Amino acid sequence: MTLIRERGAPARQRRPRRTRGDFRPGNPGRRLRLGLVLTLALLMVYGGRVVQVQVLDAADVSTSAVASRMREAVIPAQRGQILDRTGAPLAATVQAFDIVVDQTMVEDAVGAAGGIAPIVALPRWQVRRALTGERRFAYVARGVTPAQWQRVRDLGVPGVFGQPTRQRVYPAGAVAATVVGFVGTDGHGLDGLEYGLEDILAGEDGLLIYEASAGGRRIPTGQHSERSAVAGTSVRLTLDRDIQYVAERTLARAVRNAGADSGSLVVIDPATGQLLALASAPTFDANAPTASDPQSRRNRPLQEIVEPGSTSKVITLAAVLNEGLATPTTRFTVPGVLYRKGEDYRDSFEHGRLPLTLTGVLARSSNIGTIIAGERMSPETFYSYLVRFGIGQPLGIDFPGATRGILAPVGQWNDASFPTIAFGQGVAANAVQIASVFATLANDGIRIQPSLILGYQPPEGGIRAPAPPARTRVVGAEAARTMRQMLEMATSEQGTGSAATVPGYRVAGKTGTSDRIDPECGCYRGYTSSFVGMIPAEQPRAVIAVILQNPRNGYYGGQVAAPAFQAMATYLVQAMRIPPSVTPRASLPLEW
Amino acid sequence: MSPARTAPRGPAPGALLGGPSLLGRGAGSGRLTSGATPRGTGATVGYDWLLIAAALLLSIIGSALVYSATRLRLQDAGEEPTATLTRHVINLLIALTLAMVIARISQTTLRAYAPFFYAATVLALIVVLIPGVGTTVNGATAWIRLPAGFTVQPGELAKLGLLLLLASLLSEHRDAEDVPRSRQVIIALALAGVPMGLILLQPDLGTVAVVAVLTFAVIAVSGASWWWLAGMVGATGIGAFLVVQLGILSAYQLDRLAAFTDPDLDPLGAGYNTRQARIAIGAGGLSGTGLLQGEQTAGRFVPFQESDFIFTVAGEELGFLGSALVIALLGIIMWRTSRLALQAPDMFGRLLGAGVTAWVAFQSFESIGMALGIMPVTGVPLPFVAYGGTSMLACWAAIGLLTTVSRETLIRPD
Repeated sequence: MTLIRERGAPARQRRPRRTRGDFRPGNPGRRLRLGLVLTLALLMVYGGRVVQVQVLDAADVSTSAVASRMREAVIPAQRGQILDRTGAPLAATVQAFDIVVDQTMVEDAVGAAGGIAPIVALPRWQVRRALTGERRFAYVARGVTPAQWQRVRDLGVPGVFGQPTRQRVYPAGAVAATVVGFVGTDGHGLDGLEYGLEDILAGEDGLLIYEASAGGRRIPTGQHSERSAVAGTSVRLTLDRDIQYVAERTLARAVRNAGADSGSLVVIDPATGQLLALASAPTFDANAPTASDPQSRRNRPLQEIVEPGSTSKVITLAAVLNEGLATPTTRFTVPGVLYRKGEDYRDSFEHGRLPLTLTGVLARSSNIGTIIAGERMSPETFYSYLVRFGIGQPLGIDFPGATRGILAPVGQWNDASFPTIAFGQGVAANAVQIASVFATLANDGIRIQPSLILGYQPPEGGIRAPAPPARTRVVGAEAARTMRQMLEMATSEQGTGSAATVPGYRVAGKTGTSDRIDPECGCYRGYTSSFVGMIPAEQPRAVIAVILQNPRNGYYGGQVAAPAFQAMATYLVQAMRIPPSVTPRASLPLEW
Repeated sequence: MSPARTAPRGPAPGALLGGPSLLGRGAGSGRLTSGATPRGTGATVGYDWLLIAAALLLSIIGSALVYSATRLRLQDAGEEPTATLTRHVINLLIALTLAMVIARISQTTLRAYAPFFYAATVLALIVVLIPGVGTTVNGATAWIRLPAGFTVQPGELAKLGLLLLLASLLSEHRDAEDVPRSRQVIIALALAGVPMGLILLQPDLGTVAVVAVLTFAVIAVSGASWWWLAGMVGATGIGAFLVVQLGILSAYQLDRLAAFTDPDLDPLGAGYNTRQARIAIGAGGLSGTGLLQGEQTAGRFVPFQESDFIFTVAGEELGFLGSALVIALLGIIMWRTSRLALQAPDMFGRLLGAGVTAWVAFQSFESIGMALGIMPVTGVPLPFVAYGGTSMLACWAAIGLLTTVSRETLIRPD
């Protein structure tokens, strides 16, 4: 009937092999039944296994099922801004994107890199390397603008994704960079106020717990819980962005002209103690901190101590005045060399016996005259004035790395301490402390602790003022006024600070030239040149301190630092609308 | 000559209520094969309606599970969420049509064309290996792409072609002697070796294993000597040992075996599939999350969930009740196919029944077993349930073949 049957017609009869026990040919029916029984038995085993997994272990497995789906996502808190006193942003947070890649999805890394690199302004090889490999996640570029990401997305490179993120930007660039500092890639402060005010600025991150698919997407119907993020508090500084900008530019020019290593420039409003400018040179661009020299990131006015030198003579002479131990015209005979307890002291200029008034001692910056005048009071009295002027005391500004300076307690003074401290050596202070001494005299003898923070702006609105700064009466108002007149003489034609004059305005100030401590050798090498002054002298609105480290084109403070003061003061009288002086300049005799 | 033309005949005397035994009364007893009604008229006489109903129910459940497993991914990709379901249903309709056509072909014709069909499937297996023709999915070059998003997987058709040819080859001896001659067994092994070797080149270990089990079952039921059976088992054992020892297995296959022995070994790597599959099934609990409600399925934690791991969707969304139903329906199919084999009037029908039983059983046990973590992971689709057009086609073609057997049984009493 069939082909096979025709072909398989009986040809030869084979002897059935049924004689050899187990190896006889199988009975098809029995084998089929055996197979079916085995199959059904196996089916039972499977049923049992299903009961085990789905009924007996179900609770455990179900819990781990949910657990394996739950994801936590941090909702980053909006970081507070850092603003200048007018509200102009110095540090702000903007929407940005991290461009990331699943390298296994990239087909043409070279071509893609050619498209992406110019958009994100990275070298082509760097982008190509980020795109190449077997990693499922890698960063291509971080913190690009939404516009940049849009252009990259339009390229349609498979495997390249944008992750929304926030980017800290510093709209003013280098301006106030050493004050504001910067944040790391994780958005937390690494330096400056970004670091010091981290707790206030950061806010509190929120947390989203949700069920996610294997690909990480949120399952819409899944359970979730959310704790909202609390935005950080913005901080308004006492700095004025414009004044800060001019201060930095002025300082940079002064450092360059003087061939100095570095410098500080501080502007204080004496009536409030608020810092209007806090400039460092060199400085850096806060938008690209990693490209800068760590030395350039230092906030020198707060972090660097110097031996103030002659600018510190105002403390000594103000104390003498305030104690009623001398008047501006008290006569001193100043020898060329002064011997004190085995040491001899000289002035910066060679001279014989000089007949100087107290004013003359200050204006001509005589070390010897200052020692002689200072010796009218006890070391303890002198020490108490140093302390009240803030020397060696904490500034009260919460800034990372801010120094309090060095002032040995009077009990530990040796034979040389009194005379050297009297003219500003053997003692160390930062630029803000030195400026604060002059601000105290400018404020009629009341020291107001310098401040950097004007107020806090919490996310819910309003402004919270910081604790009011401490106010200390250091010298009497009369003594302060007298000191200002004497300091005015120091900027006169006969004084050392004549380069600091501003036409139309009465200027009071003091030059300083001291031996510089070289941090490299721990020895004295080179000079610290400074000028600290105030304008206008009759009713000071601003105190300006300029300090230059290791100037090489001349080194007298009156020579290298006073011009920077003059430039800064000239700008300030315009910016702060300070009317020209109408009262005549002070006129006190320097000699007798 | 054609059975279709000889119908209707009506029920055979005394056959209706006979056969209380689950397994029937052995081959060639002349009984009606169906526990359901044999009273069909005309063309459907001799159909095993219980078998067909079980397969149809599985296919319907499978369609729902395929939709559940694919809709969200399609949605995310911006495609119609029902795209895969639509293709699946079209595949199913084609498969049902094919089954009906095959059911009307006489066994004689089937035997006559078996060598040509076998040759065609072998040719397709060669074609798929030609670079540029075959489509590679997950390392196996097993698909030939057709227009409109359809693909053909020659490996699935090869099971069918080989089964037909082996059955006709090994039933030849029946007229002359009780057992196949050794020459026949050798030819049978050679015929099985060709597609197995070609599939191994893809490489698709799962399908090779199915073909091997199918071949073993057909040779065993044909009555071949125990020596042959022991030899096949021994050769498989030695082969497996050599493959492992000589490092022929690729690294991922070894990792999978290691992960099978300890699923927590590498929970995000080789053990991931097994772990996630068990989590999904366990998450279903007694009654399941409900169709389309499974979170693990929605989260797409289990890979290949519409095909090899489709049992996990049943487990999560239909729960214990649903997965037990799927297993029970597969059990019914195995019962009915082996019963058909037992009752078949000739060796050809018997071998077809045995082969289909072994094929469905092994694929079911492998696919469900790996989802339950009691079998190593290798990709075989769950018969009738999983997405995969060629697999669906082959499974329903097998139902069609067995229907010719049951019809033959009815119309050709001894």
